[in-house]
Amino acid sequence: MNLTTFYLAVAGLILAPLLGGLAAGVDRVVTARLQSRMGPPLLQPFYDVGKLMSKVIAPASQWQGLFVRWALVASLASDVLLAAGGDVLMCFFIQAASACFVTLGAFSGSSPYSKLGAQRELFQMLSYEPVFLVCVLCMAKASGGFDAYSMMGASAQPLLFKMPLIIPGLVFVLLIKMRKSPFDLSACHHGHQELVRGVYTDYAGRDFALLEIAHWADVVVILWICSFLWATGPLQMLVVALIALFVVILIDNISARLTWRHMVKVAAPVALLLATVNLLWLYLE
Amino acid sequence: MSFLKKSQIKSPWLMHFDCGSCNGCDIETLACLTPVYDVERFGIINVGNPRHADVLIVTGTVNPRNAVVLKNLYDQMPTPKLVIAVGACGCTGGVFREAPNVLGGVDKVIPVDVYVPGCPAKPEAIMDAVVTGLGKLKGILEGSK
Repeated sequence: MNLTTFYLAVAGLILAPLLGGLAAGVDRVVTARLQSRMGPPLLQPFYDVGKLMSKVIAPASQWQGLFVRWALVASLASDVLLAAGGDVLMCFFIQAASACFVTLGAFSGSSPYSKLGAQRELFQMLSYEPVFLVCVLCMAKASGGFDAYSMMGASAQPLLFKMPLIIPGLVFVLLIKMRKSPFDLSACHHGHQELVRGVYTDYAGRDFALLEIAHWADVVVILWICSFLWATGPLQMLVVALIALFVVILIDNISARLTWRHMVKVAAPVALLLATVNLLWLYLE
Repeated sequence: MSFLKKSQIKSPWLMHFDCGSCNGCDIETLACLTPVYDVERFGIINVGNPRHADVLIVTGTVNPRNAVVLKNLYDQMPTPKLVIAVGACGCTGGVFREAPNVLGGVDKVIPVDVYVPGCPAKPEAIMDAVVTGLGKLKGILEGSK
């Protein structure tokens, strides 16, 4: 590991959560505008986290604090790995570990809403993980390597033209990871959640703030991996990430929540099938 | 004022508890979330979980049965917290205050920071109450170390 890689890793550690928070702010403003509202200030997510940090409340179980901190470490580690040009597949597995810690923390609480949310979170992981895995495999096959740098600097021709069929899969993964309709099953930030706050119900105060930061880091990783589709330059990658963010916000605002059965039985198999067809096509080419 | 203290003023998440209201004040409270009033511009989010709430909005009269629930919700909220009693019934018990099963206003069970009169209270008055409550909280935070 040389010094440049170290600096990039540190930049990833610090910048990724900040960018994630900014994306959350953009999300809330754009959502409000789509609903003919004015919306909160752009920095509202940072105020929310600051507020949660300063709250005094006992945790719902003695394990929760530990699981939250491990989830945060895992999410930040996936950012660092991607920024340092590490293995994207490894980054993907660390993300899964982060989601597992969140689920474990929710299971260790006492609220039935929290436990039901945790079960739904597991169903979500069951749905998006294979799809995301095949999408990453497609990118690796087309660019000739699993590390982030080879995917980012693959060729003059964007990867998108070689893998149009993984787009539905990536949107599916993004919708689930960003907790947006129609797949905001385990938790959502709107007032119309039937599980109160789902997997987040038992987390409060500082633990909840750390979890929010972990979520920002997760979102940045997924958007970053989506931007590999048009990695001809940093600006193009940023534009792709912003387009992906806008598509997710738009779908969130025009669709209602589906059931987990629909997600597991219909949406996930279709997305997985399309991505797999694309992968086979890349191998046969 | 530090960023953490400033955040407490700028991010009030409120929970709404109907303590046996006629639903008039509840409709007015929820009207605050609509595009016409849009309370999210103050950073306000309507949450259903007392562990996430900063402001408790209570509508309706208190009776011995729901007093237990009200106290339970209040105790589950993290400090610092605000309580706003909305409507004539929430403030004093309203026209029902002489009824045998009615204890009176919300302040008979938990401490109330801001009272919003009206039958029903107007959305503007409810939003003003939240802003007044936050002003009060700001004063307390500035006074503390």
